[in-house]
Amino acid sequence: MTDWVTVRPGAYHDSVSLMRASRTLSELDGVETATMAMATELNRDLLTRAGFTIPGDVGPNDLVIAIRASDDAALNRARAQLDTVAGNLLGRADRRTNADAGVAAPRTVGSAARRLDASVALVSVPGPHAYVEAIDALDAGLDVVIFSDNVPVEQEVALKEEARRRGLLVMGPDCGTVVVGGVGLGFANALRGGPVGIVAASGTGAQQVACLLDAAGTGVSHVLGVGGRDLASEVAGRSTVQALAALDADPATELIVLVSKPPDPEVDRAVRQAANALSTPTLVAALGPGRDDLTAVAEKAISTLGGRPPTWPHWPAPRPQRPRPGAVRGLFAGGTLCEEAMLLAADQLGPVRSNVPLRPEWRLGSDLRAPGHVMLDFGDDRLTQGRPHPMIDSSLRTERLAAESRDPDCAVVLLDVVLGYVADPDPATTLAPAIREARSGAERDGRDLAVVASLCGTEADPQGLLRQAEALRDAGAAVFVSNAAAARHAVALIEGVRR
Amino acid sequence: MTCLATRTTLPRPWRSDRDRPPLAGAASLGLRPLLDGPRRPGRVLAAFPSAVYVEVRTGREPRVLGLVIPEAVRLPNAVVVTAPELRAQLASVQVGTEASVGDGVVELGGVRVRARRWWDPAPVLGPVSRIGLERGVAALQRLLDRCPRHHGLTGHPAPGNLATACVAGDLAGTVDAAERIVGLGPGLTPSGDDMLAGLLVALRVLGGAVAEGADTAGGRGGEAAGEEAVWLAGWLGAAVTPYADTRTTTLAATLLHCAAQGRPSAEMAAVLRALAGHEPLEPAATRLLATGHTSGADLTWGLLTGCLSILGGARGRRRESA
Amino acid sequence: MTRLLAGEPAVVTAGATVFEEALAAQAVRYEPVDWRPPIPGSENALAAVMADPRREGANAAAVERLLTSGPRLVDVLSARDALGIEPGTFFHAGPPTGWELASGPLRGALIGAALFEGLAEAPDKAEALFARPGRIVLDSCHHHGAVGPMAGVLSSSMWTFVVEDAEHGGRSYCSLNEGLGRVLRYGAYGAEVIERLRWMSAVLGPVLQASVRRHGPVDLKAIIAQALQMGDELHNRNRAATSLLIRELAADLVDCGAPTGQVAEVLRFVGGNDHFFLNLSMAAAKVAADAARNIPGSTMVVAIARNGTDFGVQVSGVPDRWFTAPAAVPDGLYFGGYSPADANPDIGDSTIMETFGVGGFAMAAAPAIVRFVGGEVPEALAATQAMYEITLAENPAFQIPILDFRGTPTGVDVTKIARTGILPAINTGIAGREAGTGQVGAGLVTPPPDVFVAALETLAAAVPPRQVA
Repeated sequence: MTDWVTVRPGAYHDSVSLMRASRTLSELDGVETATMAMATELNRDLLTRAGFTIPGDVGPNDLVIAIRASDDAALNRARAQLDTVAGNLLGRADRRTNADAGVAAPRTVGSAARRLDASVALVSVPGPHAYVEAIDALDAGLDVVIFSDNVPVEQEVALKEEARRRGLLVMGPDCGTVVVGGVGLGFANALRGGPVGIVAASGTGAQQVACLLDAAGTGVSHVLGVGGRDLASEVAGRSTVQALAALDADPATELIVLVSKPPDPEVDRAVRQAANALSTPTLVAALGPGRDDLTAVAEKAISTLGGRPPTWPHWPAPRPQRPRPGAVRGLFAGGTLCEEAMLLAADQLGPVRSNVPLRPEWRLGSDLRAPGHVMLDFGDDRLTQGRPHPMIDSSLRTERLAAESRDPDCAVVLLDVVLGYVADPDPATTLAPAIREARSGAERDGRDLAVVASLCGTEADPQGLLRQAEALRDAGAAVFVSNAAAARHAVALIEGVRR
Repeated sequence: MTCLATRTTLPRPWRSDRDRPPLAGAASLGLRPLLDGPRRPGRVLAAFPSAVYVEVRTGREPRVLGLVIPEAVRLPNAVVVTAPELRAQLASVQVGTEASVGDGVVELGGVRVRARRWWDPAPVLGPVSRIGLERGVAALQRLLDRCPRHHGLTGHPAPGNLATACVAGDLAGTVDAAERIVGLGPGLTPSGDDMLAGLLVALRVLGGAVAEGADTAGGRGGEAAGEEAVWLAGWLGAAVTPYADTRTTTLAATLLHCAAQGRPSAEMAAVLRALAGHEPLEPAATRLLATGHTSGADLTWGLLTGCLSILGGARGRRRESA
Repeated sequence: MTRLLAGEPAVVTAGATVFEEALAAQAVRYEPVDWRPPIPGSENALAAVMADPRREGANAAAVERLLTSGPRLVDVLSARDALGIEPGTFFHAGPPTGWELASGPLRGALIGAALFEGLAEAPDKAEALFARPGRIVLDSCHHHGAVGPMAGVLSSSMWTFVVEDAEHGGRSYCSLNEGLGRVLRYGAYGAEVIERLRWMSAVLGPVLQASVRRHGPVDLKAIIAQALQMGDELHNRNRAATSLLIRELAADLVDCGAPTGQVAEVLRFVGGNDHFFLNLSMAAAKVAADAARNIPGSTMVVAIARNGTDFGVQVSGVPDRWFTAPAAVPDGLYFGGYSPADANPDIGDSTIMETFGVGGFAMAAAPAIVRFVGGEVPEALAATQAMYEITLAENPAFQIPILDFRGTPTGVDVTKIARTGILPAINTGIAGREAGTGQVGAGLVTPPPDVFVAALETLAAAVPPRQVA
């Protein structure tokens, strides 16, 4: 054990720097204890009690350094370090400016709302946590779009009750599409402004109607998604009613279109009642057997406004597609587009098997395979667990497309391509080669595989409607902006179908 | 929960400014002809920390385009850029800097902005009743009276003459008074132009809304008055805008052109929405009154004069000249 | 009515970054939340409490009461006169505890207090007295409107400040500060400690009493507000506030009728003790926090306190219940010769300052002492900025110059702690583990997250069943 004490006269340092320097020295190998301190009476006393011998003539303006090491070698190492340590720690190395220091990103929706003077929150945290952030948004006076799914239904009801109390809107949970004042929140297209306001309990249904209205030059004021469950009996259309009222009060909206999958009958009645009470004319369009398809809804909207529905753009396949025997296989990214295609196909072809079947008895097994007509919604929750949505990443669908090309039963493949913000920035770059590959693969097996694409988007979308359409067409597909037209075309390609 | 994080944004080593992707901008619909057209040269007319204004060499209005950060006053010829980089980039821009506008892109100095979204500066008001407008005008007048800033031509006879002729529905008198006010006052947007811009927007936008509101309760007599206001806006705009090219600043001329088409700044649009009952008046009016040095008060004066003209017409005044 | 459709949206995003990218591509203003999952295990309670319809109003009321409180020093009295403490009764810092569980410094302070009260003539006799059941009454200061720094021991003959809330009418009490070095509150009980206590009761207390009574109520809120602009954060730095207090009382000290020699002793004592005001800022904070107690549905913290063994908190919506977990050893810097091995777990009621929104919450106001607790200036700024994430309001009376005079972050909300995982920033002195040692360092405390989660669970259980219209 070796002690060493030295005094540096007149070297004044603040106690904090000294404590840090002491700690650094103490952490050196073989150092038992090390103290750097101003030689105040208290400090001298402490060091003396610790067994060090302190020179008698030092005062509070002198720096005393005391090191106890296991042996001389360790002590010498510590002494060698001393100047570095003292230099680093006693110097003011850290010269960052304070102006922006310490401002970290907000950690809650409420905190972020205060910083931005925000008007709406877009919540996409995992479902079990979405409620807390959404209620915080309502507390802060914001409307909320909840993209998250897996939110318990009682939380959804509680949120929507709270929103109603405050006169705010909760869009979602499981809401994919909102467009307000031309701004897309979530999966949304770049739409031209116009007189039609859309309330949608289905994301791609709203996108389809909005894109058709855009193609017709009519335009859209706002698209308010309300979440897939809003028209179920538990939620009872709470957000639908709020959204209808908001659009009714909006001077830019001259016609309201409510797009949904078939609602609960009681909710349907209540919502229609609410719609009838509005001063703005309202079209209620629920998909279902024997009801209007989405294209017919868009056409009705245009006629109601005094316009004439256009011929919907389509790009025929480079090689004419003729009826052939076999089955149609639908590979969809959009749930409502799948539903619409199944309704049209089942009407003509009979059973269409699916992971989201029109009838329970048409449900596919877990391998998602069956002979005959099959339509798959790759955007279904069970297929998107832990993987990107098919509107962002087409790989599951291109794999299935390759598999269908090897299936002698498959005569027609129908697929949707949804453009817009958040979606794949260039879906044709992956889909076009896959289509080409599938068609030439089938051709090697002596078959002519017909590919029909339903292309949902606008020219202003980042992907560009025309560019995508031409790339898909050049790969051999027939391309339609109307999903219903695409589905009808695909069905008509099955030989023996009555027309 | 669907996983969304697939595309990772990787930092790319841009070789030069031209390689760097342009910043996203939200452009006024009024700029569509300018931005969608072929690339044209231009120069920076005015540069501020929050905005630059570019004059484009073209024979048609709009000729001036603003590149602004979100906090700046949003004129009807603005391209709003939310990316924080713009603030730093604007610092290096000076008056006279070469620019080009077209093919969807604005380019000046090291700044490149592509129009990714269009916003419509013209507010949609829906039908407005005469009674509702009367109430709003009274409230706005109180707020203007209370405001310590007065319009920039206080003491000058031109505004009074313009107001008298306009409220009387005297087209010839209005045009005559308007021609004597264009370009009057100092600054980038002279007071006289701001007053005219406020007047034109009020006549066109509120006139249209009052005409629509004629069949609502309290809206009787509104149809003729509203139509007359729109008619007056048409003639006044046609008379004044060609004249503006030579009589006032290029920016003010473009803004008059926008106003004649019913396109106000976002701050003025908010007051119009408030007058139509769609949002609270006081905060909107306070924001408008706070713009520029006297611009806010000038615009408000014009708005009120336009409103009084509409309301005067609603009392059964006859169209005197056509 | 929603203002969503009236104009262009400005968007808060929480979750997947693709949505932010899409907004940036559209030139839309947005503010992304740096969202992370809540403290594990708190999810259900969090959802239940967030759904409590009373929460928002209750928290607004609680923080309003805290912010509007008007603490004034109105008197200086012996603990017997102020609180009715009989000989043999001792109050202490933190949640209630007993002799068996008491930490070294608390035991040391109790021994010292017993010696001071003349209940025992030697430390071992005092220990025996406390160990014997039934003879001695121990209770938490907080149960009596009182607070005490470190061990926080208050006995019958000690003198206390009496602070009154001019707005809400409450009263609070805190002992007189003994200064630094070997002192009772750090568990020292040597002869010099007892001697100083005797002088404080004989001279300091009575002289202060006479001068305060002569002066009339002293506005503590005003002193705290000024001190924050002079580099104090009111927990580990009270130098400016102490000076302001003495300036305020100076004329009445001279004029109070006490012998000149005693006045000089008092001035010399206070002048040599930068922490003298701490006990007043604590009493001020206590009376303000107490004003916010017992508001059903409120998730605001109204007490943070440690007794050297346990760390405890109380929330407004759960009347008088302590939520406790073992206290941790502060992370800090040690005086020469001491190391973390010598340190006692966290102790003292001085965290009432953080409850009040100053102390560690106002570190940005006190760059002079950030290094004392082992930090650097940017960390101090970051600490204060982070506290805005877990508090309900900004105190308009207490402004931080370097943050453009932003008000101090005030009113800790347990739901925000659970959501963000950000824990209250607390800076503190470190007491020696052994009874009698005194202070060994200073540093930062990490509160145990469990106490906030436990409080949240109790709040959740009290949420009334929802009525759906």
